Amino acid sequence: MNTTTVSGLAAPRDGRALATGWPARIAIAGILALVILPLLPVGSFVLSIGTTAFITAIAAASLHLLIRTGHVSMGHAAFMGIGAYASVLVTMKLQLPFAAGLVAAFVAPAILALLIGPLVLRLAGKYFVLVTFLFGEIVRMVFVEWTTLTGGANGIPGVPPPHPRLLDPQAYYYFALGFAIVLIGFIARLLSSEIGRSIDAIREGENLAECSGVPVLRVKVCIFALSCGIVGIAGALQGHFIRYIDPTSFSMVQSLNLVVVNVIGGMYALVGPIIGTAFFMITPELLRDYVELQRVIFGIIIIVVIAFFPGGLVEIAQRRADALRGKRKVGP
Amino acid sequence: MLSPIVLVQIVVNGVGLAAIYILVALGFTLLFGIMRVVNFAHGAFAMLGGYALYYLYSIYDVPYLVAAPVAALFVAAAALVLERFVYRRFYQKMFQSMIALLGLDMAIASTALIIWDSHERSIKPAVSDILQLGGIIVPADKLVIVAVAAIALAAFYLFTHFTRAGLAMRAAAQDVETAEAQGIDTRVTYQLSFFIAIFMAALAGGFYGQTYALSPFMGERPLMMAFIVVILGGMGSIPGVALGGLLLGLGESFLSTFYGSSVSVFVSFGAVILLLVFRPWGLLGTPEK
Repeated sequence: MNTTTVSGLAAPRDGRALATGWPARIAIAGILALVILPLLPVGSFVLSIGTTAFITAIAAASLHLLIRTGHVSMGHAAFMGIGAYASVLVTMKLQLPFAAGLVAAFVAPAILALLIGPLVLRLAGKYFVLVTFLFGEIVRMVFVEWTTLTGGANGIPGVPPPHPRLLDPQAYYYFALGFAIVLIGFIARLLSSEIGRSIDAIREGENLAECSGVPVLRVKVCIFALSCGIVGIAGALQGHFIRYIDPTSFSMVQSLNLVVVNVIGGMYALVGPIIGTAFFMITPELLRDYVELQRVIFGIIIIVVIAFFPGGLVEIAQRRADALRGKRKVGP
Repeated sequence: MLSPIVLVQIVVNGVGLAAIYILVALGFTLLFGIMRVVNFAHGAFAMLGGYALYYLYSIYDVPYLVAAPVAALFVAAAALVLERFVYRRFYQKMFQSMIALLGLDMAIASTALIIWDSHERSIKPAVSDILQLGGIIVPADKLVIVAVAAIALAAFYLFTHFTRAGLAMRAAAQDVETAEAQGIDTRVTYQLSFFIAIFMAALAGGFYGQTYALSPFMGERPLMMAFIVVILGGMGSIPGVALGGLLLGLGESFLSTFYGSSVSVFVSFGAVILLLVFRPWGLLGTPEK
């Protein structure tokens, strides 16, 4: 009974079939729908929701990459913030082009992750959760206190768009969609490669993986750095989209949201965080007139999902699919 | 600058803070130690305790020494409903409990926001006198808080060490399966521990609301402090909570007097991270195999 020490993250045996078994056709259809959406008569409000959703999906997918190694970070938004601040400072203070900002947004959080990774990734699941939780708060406080560089609690207003043409919401929508497809596609490719199998091996049994020749700590540190770098890009995209950054956008609440997106969607397959993001972005819109009530219902949904469907919405979908298939078998 | 008078002042302030931290953290560590539940909603119960005290004491004028425990009792009794429908599903499931109780925290805090809106209220002080003992100025209010907290902690100690139910609780904290094998009814023990944990959180929430201010999101800081205290002392270790709470309270009081409050938070968080990296089981905890 005590095998739950890996914080209960071990995937159910049939969890992986879902990741590869889902037809690529659905993914392509989904992307096509998202490409066509702005051509329909929708307002710029829908477009900005879409853009935010793409950015959230990138961030959630990067956290998913880390979760697959068995480590749940409660401070992921801090790295997102570091990326955002790095990009904004490079483009505004150094007057460099957006591409340089984007590089900084990837490199800065990745380097920090490389520095702390070897220390914190030795910790077992629950201690890693606690360390990242506190680390996220420290980073947020640095944003608040280092006023000469970060503008303190007031943040930095007037962030330039990546390109003058990207002031148009529709253009930024496609810009963010492009980033989401490339980055999430990259994560998907990585997870289905040999490295992906090492990652799964590490989560399922660290010692066994080590014995089988997987350089466990090195893989974990690299994945951590990559995950933090990608979330940094998401932070930069967000900063240049909203054109304003401040410490509260990268606080604990945001980190927790990223975890919640992963848990609600499902932690064992990459579709999880994507479905979770869609759910996370759409549900509040249905209750838009009642902001507080929306949080209450959201909280209750989280409890219900965790209590009854630990594999998240993906698991619900899978159970439906299994039930349908079962019926067909029984039928004739 | 560091005269004995200032020093005593700092210590008194520190002990006042420590009393609140220990109360919150004790319940937190109890839930973790016995049920393996990471109660992210702990701060929400502290917040509810604050509002309960506000209504009883500031609005209905119940005498303070009655109002403080009754408010906490009320919150703990109401929380038993949540124990039945939410907490019970997550006992011995550490990771799931963490996320689910995050959801619960969100639900409770947002409900509070709907009922009481976001403007801050204040609970009037228990006593408004200021004691002056040879140059040392101490608000009597703070002493009342320390006294009530000390009584609660002493009662907790006596209960766990000199009653059968308390013994059952300690046994369950050490090893649930063995405890069950000895005939301990863990369901009742869980309920009792839950009740005590929430009672202490709600009591601390009242004090906290009195020291600072009352608002639906005031629970975040006590939760954070409980986290730190529990990590400092060692997850699930009860003497560790006392040590961790004192260290954090005194440290915060000392550092914020001389270097400002943000430095004190930096130092305490940094110290905890170092501790976690090199001795993750805490000062008084035991390493897991």
